Amino acid sequence: MSETALRPSAPAVTPPSTPGKRRRRSAYARRQGRAGLAFVTPFMIIFTLIMIAPLGYAVYQSLYTTKLIGGTSFSGFANYSTVLQSGDFWDGVIRVIIFGGIQIPVMLAIAFFFATIFDLGVARWGPLFRAVYFIPFAVPIVVSSVMWGFLLDPAYGPFNHLMNAIGFHNFNWLSGNLMIPSIIIIAIWEWTGYNCIILYTALKSVPRDVIEAAILDDTPLWRIIVRIKLPMVRPAIIMLVFINTIGAMQLFIEPTILNNYQAGVVTNTWTPVIDIYSTAISNGQYQLGAAMAVVLAVIIVAISVASLGFRGRRREQ
Amino acid sequence: MSAAAMNSQTRRERRRRERLVERDAAIPVELYGLKRGTVTALTTCCVLFALFTLAPVVWVIINSTKTQSNIFGSFGFWFASPFEFFHTFANLFRDIDGDGTYANWFLNTVLYSLSGGIGATVLAVLGGYGFARFEFRGSKAFFAIIIAGLLVPITLVAVPLYLAYAKVHLINSVWGMILPSMVVPVGLYLMRTYVELSIPRELIDAARIDGASELRIFLRIALPLMVPGLMTVLLLSVAGTWNNYILPLIIFSNNQLFPVTVGMGLWSQHAGNSGDANLYPLLVLGGLVTIVPMIALFALLQRYWRGGLLLGSVAN
Repeated sequence: MSETALRPSAPAVTPPSTPGKRRRRSAYARRQGRAGLAFVTPFMIIFTLIMIAPLGYAVYQSLYTTKLIGGTSFSGFANYSTVLQSGDFWDGVIRVIIFGGIQIPVMLAIAFFFATIFDLGVARWGPLFRAVYFIPFAVPIVVSSVMWGFLLDPAYGPFNHLMNAIGFHNFNWLSGNLMIPSIIIIAIWEWTGYNCIILYTALKSVPRDVIEAAILDDTPLWRIIVRIKLPMVRPAIIMLVFINTIGAMQLFIEPTILNNYQAGVVTNTWTPVIDIYSTAISNGQYQLGAAMAVVLAVIIVAISVASLGFRGRRREQ
Repeated sequence: MSAAAMNSQTRRERRRRERLVERDAAIPVELYGLKRGTVTALTTCCVLFALFTLAPVVWVIINSTKTQSNIFGSFGFWFASPFEFFHTFANLFRDIDGDGTYANWFLNTVLYSLSGGIGATVLAVLGGYGFARFEFRGSKAFFAIIIAGLLVPITLVAVPLYLAYAKVHLINSVWGMILPSMVVPVGLYLMRTYVELSIPRELIDAARIDGASELRIFLRIALPLMVPGLMTVLLLSVAGTWNNYILPLIIFSNNQLFPVTVGMGLWSQHAGNSGDANLYPLLVLGGLVTIVPMIALFALLQRYWRGGLLLGSVAN
């Protein structure tokens, strides 16, 4: 409606007084609507085919069970109760929550630290470092996992020699206790630059006169950063927490590849997605795997919505 | 002076001006009242993190020149003879242990990434423009569903897709890989935000008054203004498919169709017990060859994507 108000001289729009003119205006709106629909239809068709239909099919499949004798039959929520009662599945969920709970805050702190440095220009060669930090984003996770596998290799890896040289003998980066910390290091390597660039761009958009006024008031630099800059980039930080959480919950590639360098630590149920993959694809229990995928999707949505709710509450204060 | 030379000169001039503007916008460091030595200390921090970032890349470059025994036996961050780079490179074109040929996988990756990326960009540009500049029945609901799709990334859809593919015979089909790569909800979201911010409604309305058709308005007025956002979406969706692992892992059993990621995953699994096939040098060099085009692409197009990445966090 506001569109038409902007256009007093539009041929189809004349002052709305008589019924006839009203009809003409709604015809105009209908034509607009049809054009808009035409623009979004291609995306909606493929989106429906690739995302909505398979998800619906998965939900449908998850309600059935196939037995060796008796074939496939409706089993209601039996698959779901199997998933919900599976200790291994929940161990995996807790493992990725621990992983994300440590990796995301540490990485965001590092990324914010460097983004602030670049934004203030308080280190030399800022643009060069910015470019260097972004390089890992261009490396496929399979490749970075392979590279880090070599570097952390328990027998031959240079990082292992390093630990030996400084006195930690028989150190194993990929042992059961250190697998999660090692993957955290790898994930920090992969994602810090990307997060840093986004925070840097957000910091750049903080108005200059605000900062100048603060400087004239003799506000110490750390206070400018914590009290002015940090709150102003909060939307960007929230978006990053969101994206990183969704990614962390689906941890799959790094442990799968590292398993080839140190067998036995990463089990078939180590993370939820590994569990889903081995259940549905390797073991061929599609219906159970589909139920697991649905449960994991619900967990991810729940965590995301919870973080949005957190944002809403903070805003009201 | 040739047109090309003039073009490159004006481009250089423009870049110089941009740099000057950027320098003008920055507040001089002296004004912050920092202690002496702070800049040096912070630069040192930057150098340390840069070393951490570059270590694996440097390692891959150095070790792509080594034999299998030297990869494990010699110091990881320095060269060792014999220089095997070209020998290993030649092996990228051969099926060395029956898993498949790297060159073949690489071409597959290029095919999937380009067709998926271009398709995703076309859909996102059309859809983003439609949602940003038109109101129609159900537009709010459709958009909400797409936003919900942001929460359900391709990894989770992979297993359901596999079940659906088994029904419609898309297992081991190139389309089974390309079609899902064309669905990038975040791309549509970025484009919608970009249109909201960069294409004034008044401009489109003015064209409508002049009697231009909607298609013409889109092609002649909106599309040229959308190019920077479009490049971001293109780059992100090409990179997304380039990096994709779980979907091709699930839907392809024919190694002729593998992308690089799945092929290398298979190699890393077999390298430990492949005996004399010498897969480790291939794994290292294959990694290097995989990352070089992506780094080059990001470096070439950085003017476009740097601003674009942030779009997701502004506007509603």
